[in-house]
Amino acid sequence: MVLQARWSKILKDIWGNKSRSLLVIFSIAVGVAAVGMINNAARIIQRDLYSEYGAGNPALLQIYVSPFDKHLAKAVEDMREVESAQAMRVVGASISGADGQWDDVGLHVVQDYDDIQMDKYIPVSGSAKPAIREILLEGQSADLLGLHVGDVVAVEMPDERRYNLTVAGVVHDVYVMPFALLGEATGYVSMETLDWMGEAPYFNRLDIIVADGKNDKEHIIEVGGLARDRIIEPAGFSVAKIQIPGFGSDPGEHWAQSQIKGFILILQIMSVLAMFLSAGLVINTVSAILSQQIKQIGILRSVGAQRKQLIGMYVFNVLAFGILAVMIAIPVGLLGAWWLVDFAASFLNFTVNQIDLPLSVLLIQLGLGILMPVGVALVPILSGTRISVYDAIYQYGLGAESENGLVERLFGKMRILAPEVILALRNTFRKKGRLVFTLITLTLAGAMFVAVFSTRESLNVQINQVERYIEFDALLRLPGGRSKNAVEREALRIEGVSVAEGWGSVIGVILRDDDTESAEFEIVGLPFETSTIDPLLNEGEWLQGEGLNQIVVNEDLLDEEPDIRVGDEIVLEVGDKQRPFEVVGIASKHLSGPRIYMDYGDFERFSGRNNQVDEIRVIADPHMISSPSTQDEIAEQLEERFTNARLDPGSASTRHAFYGNITDTFDIILIILIVMAVLLAIVGGLGLTGTMGMNVLERTREIGVLRAVGASNFSVRQVVVIEGVVVGLLSWILGGILSGPSSWALAGAVINTTLETGLRLRYSFLGLFIWLVIVLLIGVVSSLAPARSATRLRVRDVLDYE
Amino acid sequence: MLGNCMSKVMELRRKEGESHTVPSNGKHKAHDNGRMIELRDVYKLYKTKSGDFPALKGIDLNIEQGEFVAVIGKSGAGKSTLVNLITGIDVPSSGEIIVDGFPVHNQNEDQKARWRGLNLGVVFQFFQLLPSLNLIENITIPMDFCSTYPSKERKARALHLLDQVGIAEHAYKIPSKISGGQQQRVAIARAMANDPGIIVADEPTGNLDSRTAGEIFELFSSFVDQGKTLLVVSHNKDIGPLATRVIEIADGEILNGNQKKISALEI
Ligand SMILES: Nc1ncnc2c1ncn2[C@@H]1O[C@H](COP(=O)(O)OP(=O)(O)O)[C@@H](O)[C@H]1O
Ligand SMILES: [Mg+2]
Repeated sequence: MVLQARWSKILKDIWGNKSRSLLVIFSIAVGVAAVGMINNAARIIQRDLYSEYGAGNPALLQIYVSPFDKHLAKAVEDMREVESAQAMRVVGASISGADGQWDDVGLHVVQDYDDIQMDKYIPVSGSAKPAIREILLEGQSADLLGLHVGDVVAVEMPDERRYNLTVAGVVHDVYVMPFALLGEATGYVSMETLDWMGEAPYFNRLDIIVADGKNDKEHIIEVGGLARDRIIEPAGFSVAKIQIPGFGSDPGEHWAQSQIKGFILILQIMSVLAMFLSAGLVINTVSAILSQQIKQIGILRSVGAQRKQLIGMYVFNVLAFGILAVMIAIPVGLLGAWWLVDFAASFLNFTVNQIDLPLSVLLIQLGLGILMPVGVALVPILSGTRISVYDAIYQYGLGAESENGLVERLFGKMRILAPEVILALRNTFRKKGRLVFTLITLTLAGAMFVAVFSTRESLNVQINQVERYIEFDALLRLPGGRSKNAVEREALRIEGVSVAEGWGSVIGVILRDDDTESAEFEIVGLPFETSTIDPLLNEGEWLQGEGLNQIVVNEDLLDEEPDIRVGDEIVLEVGDKQRPFEVVGIASKHLSGPRIYMDYGDFERFSGRNNQVDEIRVIADPHMISSPSTQDEIAEQLEERFTNARLDPGSASTRHAFYGNITDTFDIILIILIVMAVLLAIVGGLGLTGTMGMNVLERTREIGVLRAVGASNFSVRQVVVIEGVVVGLLSWILGGILSGPSSWALAGAVINTTLETGLRLRYSFLGLFIWLVIVLLIGVVSSLAPARSATRLRVRDVLDYE
Repeated sequence: MLGNCMSKVMELRRKEGESHTVPSNGKHKAHDNGRMIELRDVYKLYKTKSGDFPALKGIDLNIEQGEFVAVIGKSGAGKSTLVNLITGIDVPSSGEIIVDGFPVHNQNEDQKARWRGLNLGVVFQFFQLLPSLNLIENITIPMDFCSTYPSKERKARALHLLDQVGIAEHAYKIPSKISGGQQQRVAIARAMANDPGIIVADEPTGNLDSRTAGEIFELFSSFVDQGKTLLVVSHNKDIGPLATRVIEIADGEILNGNQKKISALEI
């Protein structure tokens, strides 16, 4: 089969202009690969993670109850509305890894290992059931701790006594927060083992699956309330909290499902953006190819080419670009998906079944990589082939373009500028279509870049909000409540502790004016002159004193109850008690979730829990935050003291630990976003390089004239580089304008998905400035190669060019 | 739309019946009366900033099959304009141009392109070869566009034409690797690709030295023996003796339409 001359011409043109061809191919490939990577990864993550999650019969509701035994679980399970109920116990301890390093571990006790009802783990190796003095380890924990079946491992209980347990098995549990994410390992022991380790053998959490309406959040919460009101509280237990597992997930969904969804959506939007950029680049390049080949088009027409045939040739050209691009992009996208899935799997601790490329993703990639470029290129192809033979052969290059535009005249007047600058500026504005496309590309890249930075700063604001809010050095939870006086006295005995505050907390609802009830909120009682938090008030003022029946609500609560205003009187209900309170202030968000603050005295009277607190917060030096090591030390002493004093504490946490966890997660998100922004910048830079190259080619004659009148290499180069920089600057200005809305959108989306909270936007001027530097660099770098080729042109070449 | 225009051309050809049957090789037979090029009262006005400029003022011209017509005249006289109207590259402001029975003046670009591809070879001053294609491909491209000759035969035909113009040994080079005179030979071979009845050339030797120019003219006159009709614009005096007729144009008018008229056989 002989290749016909016209196809041969196209292939040879592609080959003969390698850098230009690679530019287009690469820019299509970037977008196609990104789309493939993200969509395929999203599909695999959803397939494997969600199916794994669903397969183990996920608990729909968790009720935290004061110490109870399995009979309570049976009683709740007997409720008509409940399908199954399972008692659980989780105890915080420390475990020694293979390297002797101590890590936090959550010791889980399941009610009946022979008949696990929900959140079922999958046995990986060894035994699937821990016998006495044995522990099962979650797979990721075992890996990261370097432990294997048969190892004997030391576990230290909160009272500092150590016990040796045998690792009897490794299981995979997709329901617990992964070690990699939380920094806390997960192990499973029997109640006998826990007893042997000196812990009282009781359960503290009730996991529930409802009988009907498994997707109905309201209904499930309602069933929780019923269980509390009908069974748990009448039996003499207290309920600390009723919650759907996860961070704002819907019932039965993976605990991070809404975050994953949101994040995938953001990535998808970015990949679509990359696709738009490459479409712009395709249009730009193809119109350049056509305008550069106008004369050839005229020749082809003069030897018999129909317009249809010419269109076919250039469509074939773009098809070839597209096919080459998808040949690169499909494997790269698959590799990228593999990387992303692997990353997510290690992060979220799920098992990846198979990295495959489904027909749907393949078709999307083929469509975007082949049809999209052809589709957009039709615009320049149709207009470029419409030219008559006469115009193509005789008029081209004879100043057909108007030199008398507004912009040109304007530059003519700017005498103060050096001639090189005027020439460069005039060049920039001559090919307006191309300028527009290049500007769009760089502008979008810039807007996205600044948006990523603004997202970072907005997240930082949010985190700083938390940072300034948390004024304590360490906090100790006291499950079930302890005597306030005893607790504060004990805490103040610790050397170096100067402030100790006991906080009480109950769950209550707001009774709305129309007699409906709000969802359950946390009500905290704290000293009105608290020094362990420093909330930022958006409106109104902080609690003014005791006995005033004042409350402060936070912005998260306002998200759910938007009608509340400062000065309103609202009725709160806890148990069967109701009481009106005056809203005096609205505090900003700081990741605590919806909350109502009231003075401890008022809290005591309202809740009826006299002298009871649920956590103690301590500060060493009220004038400064202590160092992390001091915080750790205080936390340790707190746990020790309280254990010795038989105050039976939960785990202590420190300010830096709390803070560190949040920032780590955000860093990962930001890294991915910055990678995407850099990709966009690369595509933008490619676009500018291409444009500059084409501009130089088209101005060959002009440059020749410059050379002929003795312009030095330097000044020829200067003209080109100035042009690149001017385009960069222009795009920076436009990108700056667009970065307002884009920052708002991206930061809003990221903060909403990761923090489940509304946005307080902080625009990043730093980002804008960094982008200025980058865009100037892009301007210079992308015009250097074209500038070099411009200086290589000899006067003779220029004459030949005709 | 395009298909429509194409079929119109085909229809037109069919209507012209016997004298215009298109053999499989696309060859176009001459008119019965032997008239190849006919211009009737052709005007061409160029729109310029200072008003319409008449480049051709009422040209009447008849050229018979087998003639080798040289068009001479000062620069700016209107020679190129005349040639471009005959090839259909440009359109007249008024008047009729019939080339081999084809009314060039009222056809659209696609119809003219198709017609040109099959029946008329154009040679330009600046060769206008496609820089990325080798010589063979440059010559096969008109056959490709007009689907003349089976695709397997095209290469052989290109080689044959290259041999005719005397540069077969460079067949696989690209145009920039051969001299200007050689490039013009390739352009001429390309004009012959579909074996058209008419060859039109605008200053084909304008960019060549006089010895090379002479060789190119020899080449042209050899086509007359094959029964082709030739119209060649030139500044070069050497063309005179080879042409069967010399037309001089000045200020958009033909000065001496019938000054020299000799049969091709007399040369
Ligand atoms: N596109 C055009 N616009 C305006 N004037 C033109 C154009 N093309 C040619 N002319 C003018 O028409 C006249 C004839 O031009 P042309 O046919 O190219 O002359 P020749 O080929 O004999 O040198 C010249 O005066 C030329 O300036
Ligand atoms: Mg001329």
